[in-house]
Amino acid sequence: MKSLRNHLSVIIPLFVTLFSLQFIFLINQIVDSYSRTLTKDYSIVVVASKELSQTTIKNIVSGVKSIEEISSKKILDKLKDKISTKNISLLKTSLPKFYSIKLKSFPNEKDIEEIKDKLLKIESITKVETFSKTYSKIYRMFQALEKIVFLFSIFVLIISVLLMVKQMKIWLLEHQERMSIMTLFGAPFWIKSAVLYRLVVIDSLISTLLVSAVYIFIPKFEKIDTFAKSIDIVIPEFFILKDTGVLLIVSLLFSLFIVSIVIRKMNRQ
Amino acid sequence: MEHVIHANNLTLTYGKDEPIITEANMKINSNEFVFITGKSGSGKSTILKSLYGQLTPKKGSLNVCGIKINNANSSKLNLLRRYLGIVFQDYRLIADWTVEKNVMLPLIIGGFSKVVCTQQAQKLLKHVKLLHKADKYPLELSGGEQQRVAMARALAHNPVIILADEPTGNLDEYSSEVIWDLLKNAKEYLGTTVIVVTHHIPSTLDIDYKHFFLETGVVYEVS
Repeated sequence: MKSLRNHLSVIIPLFVTLFSLQFIFLINQIVDSYSRTLTKDYSIVVVASKELSQTTIKNIVSGVKSIEEISSKKILDKLKDKISTKNISLLKTSLPKFYSIKLKSFPNEKDIEEIKDKLLKIESITKVETFSKTYSKIYRMFQALEKIVFLFSIFVLIISVLLMVKQMKIWLLEHQERMSIMTLFGAPFWIKSAVLYRLVVIDSLISTLLVSAVYIFIPKFEKIDTFAKSIDIVIPEFFILKDTGVLLIVSLLFSLFIVSIVIRKMNRQ
Repeated sequence: MEHVIHANNLTLTYGKDEPIITEANMKINSNEFVFITGKSGSGKSTILKSLYGQLTPKKGSLNVCGIKINNANSSKLNLLRRYLGIVFQDYRLIADWTVEKNVMLPLIIGGFSKVVCTQQAQKLLKHVKLLHKADKYPLELSGGEQQRVAMARALAHNPVIILADEPTGNLDEYSSEVIWDLLKNAKEYLGTTVIVVTHHIPSTLDIDYKHFFLETGVVYEVS
């Protein structure tokens, strides 16, 4: 019972740390993928009095992926039956040019304003429609979530380190007699500390497997999946080998680092 | 003859307190049997502690197995301690290890294979007549049995020197006899140097020995 409690005191902070870490990755991936979708769908519409050259716009506004002219043919086709051919030709020449500008990445509000200002400085451009409010609302919400998750994870990490250090000290006190006897027989550091390192490795492995299990099963819950779809996000896939491997490495490095620090510090005392 | 221990004007203190041992001179040769006697608190155990490097000399110099204790770092001390077999007054057995594993300790530290460790531990447990208790834990044994396990552990790796602090202090006649036989055999058959700190030299012990006597911090060699 005592042993189980001792293990849980390390497994729980490690689990929470790894869970937070994986959650940061997850949110980053969701925001990235959402931003890619937005970028694909998003375009700035520009109205110009005369034809614009792609190079002019690309030179003035950085981050432009493509510029396409929106054809006025459809509008003119609708009017074909109502007005004469001559008037159609006249209309054709007097109608302003419409362009759709696609960007390489989804801009924030500040970027959009800057782009708008730059475009309006081009003499022939009479109007720029950015549709910024509609698109950036959800994106901003995701970005805020990303920051909140990051801050929360740092807080969790600090608490976890403190809890683990405390537990390592308890372990060390429990094993101190054994370690001092080993010292008197000339045992090197790694033999004396082997028990503690073994415990930490086992707990790291258990925590990693638990976190992996949670992330494998999360997308399989229907409610979560439906919710994700309802807000138009895709929960990234958890790659068992790759992601578990990363988590295991992080978990081992993190716990081995803490146990080494505690052992060295206690030995010096 | 080669000196395995050489103390020159050795002064030992605990922190800034008064010296426990003052300017002691000791030369101990390989394969000698040595008794260090004296009243309680005379500094017998303090000398022993300095021999295994737990206490650094305040003044003078101390050489054990060619290693100068005065400025030995932890890796040198580890090396020195692997040459030694120490028997503590309070046994210092690892409580959650079996008797057999306790005896194996110096061999595990020495990097011997599991087979060698097991064979040697069983051989020694047979010598101390505790083979039948190999799987027991120290707290399941009597004081005398624990001391015999501690003795087996000290001999496990054929040490150059055995340091024994009151090895028969609280033991019955039978256990004492087993311990003295083992120490005598270690000297005679293994060529080990044996240093025993005790209040009383057993009269029945049939062996040549060197005797240092401690009084008020001064070490006298008794001829």
